[in-house]
Amino acid sequence: MKRSGRALDRMSPRRQTSWDARAATNFICGGAGGGLLAATALASPLGVDLRSLIVLGLALVGLGLLAVWLEIGRPLRALNVYRNVATSWMTREALVATLLFAAGAAAVVLDQPAAIWLAGLSGIGLVYAQGRILRNQKGIPAWRHGLCAALVVATGVTEGAGLLVMAALIWPALTPFGVLLAVLAVARLVVWRRYRESLRGVGVPVGTLKAFDAIDVPFVWVGHAVPIGLGIAGALLGWPIAVALAGAAAVVAGAWFKFVLIGRAALTQGFALPQAPARGSGRPGVGARPGWSRAKAQ
Amino acid sequence: MTADEPVRRVPTFCYNCVSGPDFLTVKVENGIATEIEPNFAAETVHPGRGRPCVKAYGLVQKTYNPNRVRTPMKRTNPKKGRDEDPGFTPISWDEALDTIAERLKAVRTGGLIDQAGLPRLAASFGHGGTPANYMGTFPAFLAAWGPVDFSFGSGQGVKCTHSEHLYGEFWHRAFTVSADTPNTRYVIACGANVEVTGGPTAVIRHADARIRGYKRVQVEPSLTITAACSAEWVPIRPKTDPAFLFALINVLIHEHGLAALDQPFLRDRTASAYLVGPNGLYLRDRATGKPLVWDETRRAAVAFDTARAVPAVAGRFRVATAVTMDADRVRVNHAGVEGTTAFQALSDHIARYTPEWAAAICDVPAETIRRIAGEYLEAASIGATIDIDGHTMPLRPVAVTLGKSVNNGWGAYECCWARTVLAMLVGALENPGGILGTTVRLNRPHDNRHLSVKPGDDGFMVQHFNPTSRERWEATPTTRNLHRTLVPIVGRNGGWSQALGPTQLAWMFQEERPADWPMPEPTHPDVWFVYRSNPAISFWDTRRLAESIARFPFMVAFAYTVDETNYMADLLLPEATDLESTQLIRMGATKYMEHFWDCHGVVLRQQAVEPQGEARDFTWIATELARRTGLLSAYVEQLNRGVAGVAPLKGEGYDVRLDPAEVPEPERIWDAICRAATFTLSDGRDTHGLDWFRQHGFYKVPVSRRSWYLTPTLEEQGLRYELPYQERLMRIGRELRNRLHEQNMHWWDEQLAEYAALPDWHDVPGRWEQALIAAGARTEDFPFWLLTTKSMQYHSGGNASIALMDEVSENLRGHTGVIIHVDTATTLGIGDGDPVEVRSHIGATYGRAALVKGVRPDTLVIVGQFDHWATPYIKDIERASLNSIAPMTLALTDATGSGADIVRVAVRRMERPAA
Amino acid sequence: MSPRYVMVIDLRRCVGCQTCTAACKSANATPPGVQWRRVLDQESGEYPDVRRTFLPVSCMHCAEPPCAEVCPTTATQKREDGLVTIDYDVCIGCANCIMACPYDARTIQHEPRWAYGVPMAHELARADPGRLSVATKCTFCKERIDRAAITGQTPGVDPEVTPACVNSCISGAMLFGDINDPTSGVVKLLESARHFRVHEDLGTGPSIYYIWSET
Repeated sequence: MKRSGRALDRMSPRRQTSWDARAATNFICGGAGGGLLAATALASPLGVDLRSLIVLGLALVGLGLLAVWLEIGRPLRALNVYRNVATSWMTREALVATLLFAAGAAAVVLDQPAAIWLAGLSGIGLVYAQGRILRNQKGIPAWRHGLCAALVVATGVTEGAGLLVMAALIWPALTPFGVLLAVLAVARLVVWRRYRESLRGVGVPVGTLKAFDAIDVPFVWVGHAVPIGLGIAGALLGWPIAVALAGAAAVVAGAWFKFVLIGRAALTQGFALPQAPARGSGRPGVGARPGWSRAKAQ
Repeated sequence: MTADEPVRRVPTFCYNCVSGPDFLTVKVENGIATEIEPNFAAETVHPGRGRPCVKAYGLVQKTYNPNRVRTPMKRTNPKKGRDEDPGFTPISWDEALDTIAERLKAVRTGGLIDQAGLPRLAASFGHGGTPANYMGTFPAFLAAWGPVDFSFGSGQGVKCTHSEHLYGEFWHRAFTVSADTPNTRYVIACGANVEVTGGPTAVIRHADARIRGYKRVQVEPSLTITAACSAEWVPIRPKTDPAFLFALINVLIHEHGLAALDQPFLRDRTASAYLVGPNGLYLRDRATGKPLVWDETRRAAVAFDTARAVPAVAGRFRVATAVTMDADRVRVNHAGVEGTTAFQALSDHIARYTPEWAAAICDVPAETIRRIAGEYLEAASIGATIDIDGHTMPLRPVAVTLGKSVNNGWGAYECCWARTVLAMLVGALENPGGILGTTVRLNRPHDNRHLSVKPGDDGFMVQHFNPTSRERWEATPTTRNLHRTLVPIVGRNGGWSQALGPTQLAWMFQEERPADWPMPEPTHPDVWFVYRSNPAISFWDTRRLAESIARFPFMVAFAYTVDETNYMADLLLPEATDLESTQLIRMGATKYMEHFWDCHGVVLRQQAVEPQGEARDFTWIATELARRTGLLSAYVEQLNRGVAGVAPLKGEGYDVRLDPAEVPEPERIWDAICRAATFTLSDGRDTHGLDWFRQHGFYKVPVSRRSWYLTPTLEEQGLRYELPYQERLMRIGRELRNRLHEQNMHWWDEQLAEYAALPDWHDVPGRWEQALIAAGARTEDFPFWLLTTKSMQYHSGGNASIALMDEVSENLRGHTGVIIHVDTATTLGIGDGDPVEVRSHIGATYGRAALVKGVRPDTLVIVGQFDHWATPYIKDIERASLNSIAPMTLALTDATGSGADIVRVAVRRMERPAA
Repeated sequence: MSPRYVMVIDLRRCVGCQTCTAACKSANATPPGVQWRRVLDQESGEYPDVRRTFLPVSCMHCAEPPCAEVCPTTATQKREDGLVTIDYDVCIGCANCIMACPYDARTIQHEPRWAYGVPMAHELARADPGRLSVATKCTFCKERIDRAAITGQTPGVDPEVTPACVNSCISGAMLFGDINDPTSGVVKLLESARHFRVHEDLGTGPSIYYIWSET
């Protein structure tokens, strides 16, 4: 059996291959877990004992971190991750996660509002750090775009709210939070739309646009229309089942989006040639930026 | 520096292609070769600045490749064929060498020539003589042996720049023709791919020229690397280059006129003024037989060498008395005959080949052709001079260079002629800035082409054609490629003449012969040596060729790995490879390609590391073969004559001869060769042995740049270039026709048409279409041209099994695939990277589509020569090859015995079918 | 002023031969498939006015290296002399830097890899387990540059202290040197020709300059 050569084109953006489902799991679970902690803090004044949701939030964050620990090349040196707080959002994510676990543990053990609010804030912090991790990856145009971080935060808190309202099946008092979910879903939809428009405007690898185009319709309908409709309807009508479905749709759609964001849509920068050189007495030629939706001038 | 040091840097060279030697050092750590680096000590000696090209960096992998043949092996399966596992089994060197010696002794007993008059020993070596730089003293063994048949080519003739070799050497002692790149300003390159094949020397010289602002116009169907590095790319229709070049001549002569050309050069250094009679033959002086010219001072026809004559370059003149000399010395007396100067004949002949005419054939706009001709003429700066080492010489910085498939196969004679005429018209032939010959192989001595220049007939250089006279023509071939019988111009100067015969005829006629074949049927050689040569991949119709190879009775292959040719071998012998063995070779002065240096000398390839397994130094193998075959003293005598390289071992003032009665150790042999070389190079000032070379790597003495140019040598001897009119070739062609017809042979008639005094355009690409029809196929079923081109990573390296080359070559666009124009591919529904089948009327080859814009929409290109099925590593990689589907036919063989890499094909999206 | 090393690559000279690619692999013993530098081959224009450019790329040793910014371990550092380095003993192989680099310059190899599946003598002799599962990339041949301080030689002038790719280049396309030294070859060439840097708009300040035309 003959094997054929590797890809013929070396200039165009290609899908990143260094982060696989394990890294995606961190963004999916970490975002949802962090969002859940924040949403739980918001719901804590209801007087319902939501510590099990805090445990769930911590477990999700922990699962995400475990997944990424399994991905890194040198897991035994994992503590080196704390060495660059000055500039690295990955270090900051690790610090926030440490704080999050401390606060979360305290909240579970002590059931103190301060600890719950601190855990919730840490959850937001974690989601924000994850957004900034992507924002600083200059090698992936889909990530380095400013609205990508906003979208990661928006989807994290939306998923958190989604998980919270799913708990309305157990604690019907949470049903009104369907409105919160709907508001967050609207926000996420706005950011998603603006993000994609903006990507088209500034130019982005064609593969990135294709990947997003492919999920747009289900993402908008399942991830937004359903949560908004069912969330508001469920909250107004007091139907826990409706808001739980709304929450599930928001969570699943958010997870699917992040899986695509980290995987299929994560095309590298590729190379651009601003000018073709002059050869001898010949004139210089035009350049090229293969694989991009728009050849942005350098 | 000693062998015990933990880290050593060992100077040596790479000669994996004809553009060597390139200098390098091997870093050896604790006895293991780890890195290849340039040899910076050679930075000012080697025109490539002491740097080897990418291929050399594969030599470490080559050394330790686990797929190497590490012990002698014998075949255990008597059946041979692609589907027969040879069952190679390790044996000892003693058994291997004794087996060969027994065979060879039996051959000697029965006579060196067989019943068909052919040598019973044959040998095939790979690309362009490069194996000679790795085979140690094996040439001395072959010389001691006697007649050897080198007919079975592995690509020479069809894969080399064949017509350029033959006609180049005929016209200006130019086995290879190069631009004088360090001085040139304008180059028209018809397919010459020097950035790939010219080695570091060509690469740096052309890069320097680009910065200097020279202009190179690349005329080629695809945007090759050299085209990419040119100022302008002209995507010409394949195989129509003669029309393009004819039109350039037309513009120079008919639009710019004689007054704009280099008239002194035409008058004094060429045969432009020779008078041609109405029968197309030179008008000659009746008494002396010398060609006549029209002396403008005497206003009369006089012999060309008449003192103080001022010959007219153009015009027609009434000549009172003359004689013409036709084939077979048929003399015809003439009186009151009109004589036309050769230049005038050229002018008349070329008048019909206008740019407008050529545009329709070449698919190049007439205005482009006209502009290029004008730029060429302007850049020629006729009248300008340059100081070369204290001598004022003409500066004519323009060149036309030709690449493979342009300068071989049908149409190549026309191209070579037109290119040389273009140089002639502006005085750029063998003058600074113009075109140069860079070595001789069909003339001697090989290391100094100037010494081959001696007065011959009609005021031209002496030539050593194979005789075509009734008395001396070789009616019974003495080689299987019939080079002496069929190709007068290839000459009879030993192995090179033979190896440049029509090698595909040797393969074809083993299988079948024309009906009118009165000669003895060619036989298989009793013993066949093969080294660094894989014709089952590198020739054409390779599947059938492999079957042909399987019918050879006894093949001994010096084998690096098992490959598609030695799969049929009876014995495999592992020779110590590049970094494991020792050899001293010549460097510098002028060599192939762009190698004209400021010095000449010798360079050592030395053993940097211990050979792997049981691999042995080739010199040891050659010596043992000689000893066991009973040829030891003859072998040593050949060594003493200097056959293994550089200089005789005895000369005036030195004597380092070896004792013919003793078995010399390789070290002793090379030590003597080192000493003889340095003594002769230095005129006795220096004598350095092997140890000195191991440390210093090379030895050089300066040469004058004036030696780059042949014209001063012709001037000194009062000789002329045999241009533009080819009266001699025409006569020889007629004689050859007479001889063949006397034997009732007509199968070479088509080829005889090439012997024209002034070549005409004929439908060159149409020959391939006609061949298709003759094979029973329809031209519309094969609508594309398939071409091939070389890559520096693989060219002539015999390195298809080197993983590093595979890895780095993948960075090049289209290297691993089938190059197709993006619009063509879109029409056919083929996407980038899609599996495709490229099919000719004899078979199919498979690869991945590489979509580009830089190729003509009617042309496909496959880089390199692949489609391996036995060579480890590369056999597992899908790479298409033109060779698998290019037919081998007489109809596509030109008069020199050459063909070209071009096939009519169809292409479609398709996976390779399961075997 | 302390030196800051840059590379200047003259695209008018480069022929895409991959000699530097192979020389780098030879000098740095990178495993199969890992190319710390390579020469890209790009077409531009429309038939028949098509151009083909050979673009050697590697770590650009950026003035503002995004890889160093995102590295959570400080394994990636920017040195005073311009070199961007990786401490293999500190790196955790998180691949953050790979995503941050817009030049596709970094690789992580998790398993030893051999050209022919089984290790050859020279591969074994130079195999470095410390380079497994951590990020690797072009170092500008750091060890050679560092040796210059000991030997007093000049990087870019003396081959012993010059990157292997620059040494190997057969077209003379590559120069290496100190951009802070007005007498250096790199400064002179940059002054005499028009040049660009790749993805300059990303604000990375790459240290590899590409010459494309005379001024």
